[in-house]
Amino acid sequence: MKLKIDPIKCIQCCACEMACGYRWDRALSPVTSSMMVYRTREKKNYFGLILKQDENLLLARPEGIEIQRIGVVEEGVEADASAKPIMLREACDLCDGLETLLCVSYCPTGALQIGE
Amino acid sequence: MGNLINENILIIDLSKNETSEEYLEEEFIKEHIGGAATNIALYHQYEDDDPIIIGTGILTGTLAPGGSLAVITAKSPRTGEICHAPVNLCIGAELKYSGYDYVVIKGVAEKPVYLWIHDAIADINDAEHLWEKNAWETTDTLRNDLGEALIQNLTIGEMGEKESDLAQVISNYWSSGDRWGFGALFGKKKLKSIAIRGMGLFDMEDEKGFLNLCLELLNESKNSQMAGKQGIIDIGNELDADLKEWLDPVLHRNSACFNMPYPGNTFLKNGEDPKILKETDVEEPGVLVTDIFEILGFKELGLTSKDTVQVLMECLKTGIDPVAAAQICINKEMKSVNEIIASLGNFKGPVNTTGKTAFSPCCPEKSVFNKFDNENDTQDWWVRRQKIAYVFGIHQTYSIMSPFLSEEKLLELVNIGTGLDISQEDVETVIAKL
Repeated sequence: MKLKIDPIKCIQCCACEMACGYRWDRALSPVTSSMMVYRTREKKNYFGLILKQDENLLLARPEGIEIQRIGVVEEGVEADASAKPIMLREACDLCDGLETLLCVSYCPTGALQIGE
Repeated sequence: MGNLINENILIIDLSKNETSEEYLEEEFIKEHIGGAATNIALYHQYEDDDPIIIGTGILTGTLAPGGSLAVITAKSPRTGEICHAPVNLCIGAELKYSGYDYVVIKGVAEKPVYLWIHDAIADINDAEHLWEKNAWETTDTLRNDLGEALIQNLTIGEMGEKESDLAQVISNYWSSGDRWGFGALFGKKKLKSIAIRGMGLFDMEDEKGFLNLCLELLNESKNSQMAGKQGIIDIGNELDADLKEWLDPVLHRNSACFNMPYPGNTFLKNGEDPKILKETDVEEPGVLVTDIFEILGFKELGLTSKDTVQVLMECLKTGIDPVAAAQICINKEMKSVNEIIASLGNFKGPVNTTGKTAFSPCCPEKSVFNKFDNENDTQDWWVRRQKIAYVFGIHQTYSIMSPFLSEEKLLELVNIGTGLDISQEDVETVIAKL
């Protein structure tokens, strides 16, 4: 099972963050999720999703998906400050032990889907 | 901290430059439930201090679909009545996760201040450096100075500082549902901004029951006539306002407030090609329209959509209610963009854009996308839906799209989420007092 992200369908509602936070805390919390809505460029209306995986950060931006190896920053390229808070969190484990992915269930638009 | 509730009221005394907290008793919650109803009770408790109350609903900040709403309650400088302004984006959720359900702001500061509410701490900070900054510069400065780009900010611009009746409380950079001139109250209190960031956590009494019901309601939303609809264009179609062709030259992307299944906010760009999705170097390419009525008046005036974006941006920076500004332009037959922008800071009321009730007319006064069984008497139906939304913490516009989000289901969510035993009779009592 894999998580498929279509950033164009994301509406930055943050439901995925809350659902994922529940997976880790069994409570409602916006700060423990393995997924963050990338929404620091508010005046530009530029948003997407960041997913923390075991060794990678998956950046799902409107222009496409990029995978960055955690801790490896390309020479001359400044690390994106938007990703900082997620570095301290648990990596996505695809809701290990649950029948479905919570972020997918609570996504209202199909931006998050289960893939093979 | 209780289930879904902080049980904390923050009291800000600007005259004494002091903050304190009050415990939110269970009996008080049962008596008023939350949101606008609790705001009213707190307003009367502190009435002598001309308070501004900001409150959340029990479902604000949760996975209940549409649970984004916070409510500002105060005496309107425009109507002289106690009114409620809806505030969405992530502001309600951030307030709730900051550790407070309600904020009471009383008195008048000696000099400009801003509030910084986070981690169950509230600071009253000097805002001399923010005074005379426009609303956008203020949000930028606070986010930069406090080192947190996700801070949500209620703020005022020039109009609020001048205590104009037309001043609107701005949400980050965008329009709130304040049609009541609450921005003037901020100015009168020398309160420039309220910056909020929440990192708390809420337990639920019956977590599986609560989340399953949230999911059931979300799926009803996805399978309703709302499916596939987006932004202000589709809302406009429901209001017989055809916006598609007019907006096409500036139409960028739709987005949603916190946990709102319908992306009801539409970004319009005139500073760069609106079809470009990649981030560019243009820092301020356009505006987010959070209230369809913000643009309808300028369209009626005969402005192009590009000119409307330009004027709207200046309205939001200046902190004037864009709906009132558009009506003044219509009344004066003022159609030159440069003349409008140069005059905004001097616009004066009275102008009749406040509607007939205590609830903001930023929400269309009819059902949208999905029909309700009991909407024949439209005014009564609309007022009741607004009351329910403002009490429970549901986005006011989502509430008129969602017949499946019935009062019974909302009450069930509250009871299984909190463990309280609030009855329909209790709801009726609360609604009757609003």
